[in-house]
Amino acid sequence: MLKRIYKNPYARFAFFGALLALLPLFTSAGLIKVSVLTTVASIFIYSIAALGLNLLLGYAGQISLGTAGFMGLGAYLAGYLAKDMPAAFWIGLLAAIIVPTLIGILVGFISLRIAGIYLAIATLCVSEILLKTFEEVEPFTGGMRGMNIKYPQIFGIQMDRTTMYWLLVGFLVLMMILTYNLVNGQFGRALHAMRGSESAAQAMGVNLLKYRLIVFALATAYAALAGALYVFFIRSSYPTTWSLMLSLNLVAAIVIGGMRSIYGTVVGAFVVWGLSDLVIKQLPVIRDLNGVAFIATGILIVVIIMFYPGGLRNIWYDVPRALRKLRAKVRPKTPQLEDEL
Amino acid sequence: MSDILRIEGLSISFGGLKAVDDLSFSVREGEIFGLIGPNGAGKTTVFNCITQFYKPDAGKVFFRHKDGEINLVGRKVHQIISYGLVRTFQNVEVIRELSLLDNVLIGAHGAFRATIFEQALKLPRARREEREWRAKAEHALEFMGIADRKDLPAGGQPYGVLKKTELARALMCAPNLIILDEPAAGLNDNETDALAALIRQIRDEYNCTILLVEHDMRLVMGVCDRICVISFGKFLACGTAAEIRDDKTVQEAYLGEEE
Repeated sequence: MLKRIYKNPYARFAFFGALLALLPLFTSAGLIKVSVLTTVASIFIYSIAALGLNLLLGYAGQISLGTAGFMGLGAYLAGYLAKDMPAAFWIGLLAAIIVPTLIGILVGFISLRIAGIYLAIATLCVSEILLKTFEEVEPFTGGMRGMNIKYPQIFGIQMDRTTMYWLLVGFLVLMMILTYNLVNGQFGRALHAMRGSESAAQAMGVNLLKYRLIVFALATAYAALAGALYVFFIRSSYPTTWSLMLSLNLVAAIVIGGMRSIYGTVVGAFVVWGLSDLVIKQLPVIRDLNGVAFIATGILIVVIIMFYPGGLRNIWYDVPRALRKLRAKVRPKTPQLEDEL
Repeated sequence: MSDILRIEGLSISFGGLKAVDDLSFSVREGEIFGLIGPNGAGKTTVFNCITQFYKPDAGKVFFRHKDGEINLVGRKVHQIISYGLVRTFQNVEVIRELSLLDNVLIGAHGAFRATIFEQALKLPRARREEREWRAKAEHALEFMGIADRKDLPAGGQPYGVLKKTELARALMCAPNLIILDEPAAGLNDNETDALAALIRQIRDEYNCTILLVEHDMRLVMGVCDRICVISFGKFLACGTAAEIRDDKTVQEAYLGEEE
């Protein structure tokens, strides 16, 4: 039974989601602080944006530094629509995905012929323009004072922190499955081809411009969805949240977790956004030192890039392999041990 | 036999250098045709002009596909394969991170009809196409004799295996014409002989025409029905292996230097 779950990727995603969904039980039992729930849920939100960016960065080999801007756009759109109508969850969500995606396509069209570092600069500019817009268009965004909304109603049910948490788990697992399907089909192979060899991709019939545009639009849609979910869960949005720092953190999450890895993306998001709150700030003495969490995260990123460039997802393969070697060394005279393993 | 590929007055220059100069030749359906010439003769340039990686300055490249004859000049690079013309690369261009099977499946890119939404949701059409083409790709790998490695990542596979993977990838689109860019590069004599057999086998089993651009005389003389020789971008001679071997101009330009 367990083996069958392990073999089937969809069962694995469902199992992963079920595990995550257990967390509120621990908080309600008083074993874990409620703030942990908030941190973990925000990690799910960032993971969704990072999954989209991984399509772009990991699979298609394109760099975008504009993810935060599109996330913010999704957040403000969803927030604006839901501010006075808590029941408008789905409408808000849909609008918050569609509008940024259309803008993303437009940006994509303009920057279609550029790739690599130039695309990074172009997306950075778009993100900064959006950020400035969030600050200036006060009637819609609340400007620097920010925007505040209530938890939404979904199908007539008033959401709270715990139910929102479960909803986010659902969205995360859904996006992981969709991403898995996408990257393992014709579309994913086309992205691989584009990154691996542009001439081979073209010779095999991959229209580079078309696929660059599609993958850019997809990454934007993921970011916008994440932004909308953010505002529904956190219930507020400030321009400062959607700065370049967030875009860079998303790139860091992918590099740490592992390019082209779906679970790795989530693990990377845990390291970037969870390490300080969930681990370092729980340690005695160290938690009282200002800024130590940032420094620790920074050092970890550098260490991983230098010594573990494949990303943390490789631990999944490397640890069992190391254990096997270790055991073989400890008991070298029993060769049948190898077979058992 | 009729011509499948007809090249007329092809010219291209880079800066002041005329890489290909008013070149004309034609390839008949079902033959194995070799395009040879000394180093720097412009072989690969001709090749890139046919597949539209380069845009020729002048000349026409007529290709006969199922709906009649078309001029390839001016078409987009990614459209070429849809007419039934596929190429391989001199320095094998495979995707290191993908398995051999997935690499081969890239060759079937244009055959998929399922939209991106159908693929994301794994709707029946996407599932069916994926299943069917996966089976075909496995068959192509079997044909190449490397089916046992199908799930291994391409990065780290030996050169010969990657060459075969590239060939299998080219076969996925059911091509009418396959253009091989120096297929014998980097192979030893035994491997070259095996390659010659494989090329014939591809022609016979997949019922297609093969144009190879080659440096290796051993392969060209052994496998080609007809050969076209170019030198400094100009047409020199065209004929069977024996005719080419006896041709005075060819000997001067090419073989004379070698022996």
